[in-house]
Amino acid sequence: MIGRDTSGSRRALARVALALGAGAVLAGSPYAAGRGRIDVQALARTSEREDDHVTAVELARWIRERRPAVRVVDVRTRKEFDEYHIPTAEWIPLDSLARARFDANETIVLYSEGGGHAAQAWVFLRALGYPRVFYLRSGLYEWLDDVMSPAVPAIPSPADSAVAALSRYFGGVPHVGERAATTVAKVRRRGC
Amino acid sequence: MRAPFYEFGAFGSGTALVVALIVGAAFGWCLEQSGMGSARKLVGQFYLTDLTVLKMMFSAIVTAMLGAFWLGRVGLLDLTRVYVPETWVLPQLAGGAIFGAGFALGGLCPGTSCVAAASGRGDGMALVAGMFGGVLVTGLGFRFLERFYDVTARGTFTLPQALHLPYGAVVALVTGVALVAFRAAEYVEGRHAA
Repeated sequence: MIGRDTSGSRRALARVALALGAGAVLAGSPYAAGRGRIDVQALARTSEREDDHVTAVELARWIRERRPAVRVVDVRTRKEFDEYHIPTAEWIPLDSLARARFDANETIVLYSEGGGHAAQAWVFLRALGYPRVFYLRSGLYEWLDDVMSPAVPAIPSPADSAVAALSRYFGGVPHVGERAATTVAKVRRRGC
Repeated sequence: MRAPFYEFGAFGSGTALVVALIVGAAFGWCLEQSGMGSARKLVGQFYLTDLTVLKMMFSAIVTAMLGAFWLGRVGLLDLTRVYVPETWVLPQLAGGAIFGAGFALGGLCPGTSCVAAASGRGDGMALVAGMFGGVLVTGLGFRFLERFYDVTARGTFTLPQALHLPYGAVVALVTGVALVAFRAAEYVEGRHAA
């Protein structure tokens, strides 16, 4: 470096720094663009592939297997959360979600009462850049129907027996009956 | 893809370690190339004969600051996910005084002592040994220091908060101060060379 005249390039660098520094005054907050951005096409593809949600039975398996780095998040009101929530769930209401901190390697499973709010929360967290987010599609109702009181045929298949065992693990009561019964219950479901 | 890449899960902790190794090696190489491994060059600061450290530090600060600001502004970097070290006023003033005393006595700071040791300089090795010894002693005696360690906590406290100015204004201000400092440093060095 010594002996070579670098004053020209140094002057150029100083000018660039001055321009970028002065421009910063007019540029506004650098955080403004960091409030979350939506890649609509990517999110739409994820939804299309059905990679955006888990079923209640899948979630129940994850919890029972103690799958690492899974965080179950209840976005309902505090009162509802205190009345009943999925075991291991933590309470983060919708309006606090943007401030909540998750690690990038964590799998986040969101649920609300019927699924609507959780699906919205899914979009929020994806917009904030979290890669592994899922929601319980039919919400707590699905958990109550499919895990806490699943309908098991009179002559159960091995898969049905596994679901019944899973249900009993969570203190549920599997009942013998037709699938049709739960379908009717699903029709009666309210919004989110 | 947005930065910080690790925070957004673009790579895992294994890759992060490899990246850290590459960045660290590049950092050391650049320090050595700018002569920072030599205590003689560093102590030039204190005699006002060679202000390379001041110029290098300010160049690094301005480059990183302008980069972080503008990348954040165009949305490539999420500044809310960048770790900001917390402030403890008195413990950090005390730490800075000890650091400065060590720097003036030994002629090297922690980073440059590693560079000096890596290039085989004896004073660098002695300082690295002293640094690890100091870390060990501090760790062992931590319960005596613990109360002082936690006083005057300010959390993440940044210049825009302290000065009640917009982020961009602080960026312009620091850039201006740096450019004036560069000019002043050249002037002081020129006077000594003459």
